[in-house]
Amino acid sequence: MAAISISGLTVRFGEVLAVDNASLDIGDGEFVSIVGPSGCGKTTILNLLTGLVPLQDGRISLLGKTPSVGNPDVAYMLARDSLLPWRSALDNAAYGMEIRGVPEAERERRARALLAEVGLKGFEKHYPKMLSHGMRQRCALARTFCLDSPVMLMDEPFGALDAQTKLQLEDLLLRLWGEHRRTVVFITHDLAEAVALSDRVIVMSARPGRIIADMHIALERPRSVRALQHDKHFLEIYARVWEKLEEGLGNTAEVMT
Amino acid sequence: MSRAMPHVIFIVVFLGLWEFVMRRQWLPETFFGTPSGIAAYLWDGFVTGRKLWLELGYTLVGTVVSFLLGSSTALALGLVFVMAPKVEQAMDPYLAVLNAMPRFALAPLFLLWFGLGIGSKIAVGTSLAFFIVLANTVAGIRGVSTDLVVLSRSLGATPRQIFFKVTLPGAVPVIFSGLRLALIFSMLGVVGAEIIAAEHGLGQTLSYLQSTFNMNGVMALLALLAMLGMLVTRGMTRLEKALLKWQ
Repeated sequence: MAAISISGLTVRFGEVLAVDNASLDIGDGEFVSIVGPSGCGKTTILNLLTGLVPLQDGRISLLGKTPSVGNPDVAYMLARDSLLPWRSALDNAAYGMEIRGVPEAERERRARALLAEVGLKGFEKHYPKMLSHGMRQRCALARTFCLDSPVMLMDEPFGALDAQTKLQLEDLLLRLWGEHRRTVVFITHDLAEAVALSDRVIVMSARPGRIIADMHIALERPRSVRALQHDKHFLEIYARVWEKLEEGLGNTAEVMT
Repeated sequence: MSRAMPHVIFIVVFLGLWEFVMRRQWLPETFFGTPSGIAAYLWDGFVTGRKLWLELGYTLVGTVVSFLLGSSTALALGLVFVMAPKVEQAMDPYLAVLNAMPRFALAPLFLLWFGLGIGSKIAVGTSLAFFIVLANTVAGIRGVSTDLVVLSRSLGATPRQIFFKVTLPGAVPVIFSGLRLALIFSMLGVVGAEIIAAEHGLGQTLSYLQSTFNMNGVMALLALLAMLGMLVTRGMTRLEKALLKWQ
């Protein structure tokens, strides 16, 4: 059974058709990226899955349920770290569990373990202001993986990082995902990132957002994102996905002129 | 110690020069007083005669009560404004008019309503503190990052949890800078109102000393008020640093 099933999804913002008749099934434990030019509705799809944007037309099933805000099956991660500046790294990592009612002792134990896993051992008492951007996003990753939600929705979580830090965090994400299997929907406009991380890459066209390609990424796991940067097979797949994306851009350019 | 040294030297030279000029009668003592006279006045006021303690007490109590009254009502109204923007829209023009009014112009009215005693002083102080804290409360809460609220909502936080775990702590820095200003303005309001008409207080004493040409007393009071203002600001800054270590 699919963990996430989207069918006939159409979203309008006023006069603007943002997403046009999108259908997509995501398997349990699958890592799926959605790529597309900005404004193609990829973030909208994610916000529909979180329930933050109400469903207008079509059907979404998330582990058999319709999306709702605060669904404990879902862990959501934003582009900016969104750490609470007045909480230490430890208390930030524990924040999600705190809201979801995990007992305090258990919270602290898990938060400490996850902080160690993301490489923040020794920084538990640091406030976000004292951490670098990369470290803050590591802390946000810890907060996300501390939750036992089977589905993770990530909205360009590494979009604001420099190239080097980004590679490190992508590898970290893959390692965490390997250890704590989850279903991941990963939004990005970075094609290389999508190909390197995912089992499948969904390509969307420019507005109105349509799914124009659904590509299986046949790269072995476990992967090293850094090593992949020079891998021939990776570069081939990357080129193919890029072609699809270009086609999507071309179509709309014609429509618009 | 070595950092304070230049200041100590400067102050000693300045006071010495002042005293010297007055002893020589190069300037009229009636207008400027003398450092020795000021010291004598303060000594008498706080040590031998002790009359100044009472006046200081009136001013301090007035300031603290104004501050507490003004900031607590402003905090409460600020919360209402944030939760019900319609209330804010409805009240905004009236509040703008009230805030634009020079508060000391209201002092004669407050004197009639609340009497010559501490009540009218508190009214002036409160009216000053209130608007500062109100503006900062609303700005502080509105300024809280929407990312944090969105994340908390996605986690399933209740509105109550969001308020206490995100909105309120996020607004504290801005509210606090409002509170610091409000404390200073409370004192300003109270002293100002005392100068206009009062039975007690440092402002009243200052006004009395001035009308009787006791320049030593006037200078002593001015120094005292400056010190008081500085102490208040310092105290609030300390508290802020202790509370907002994360900043």
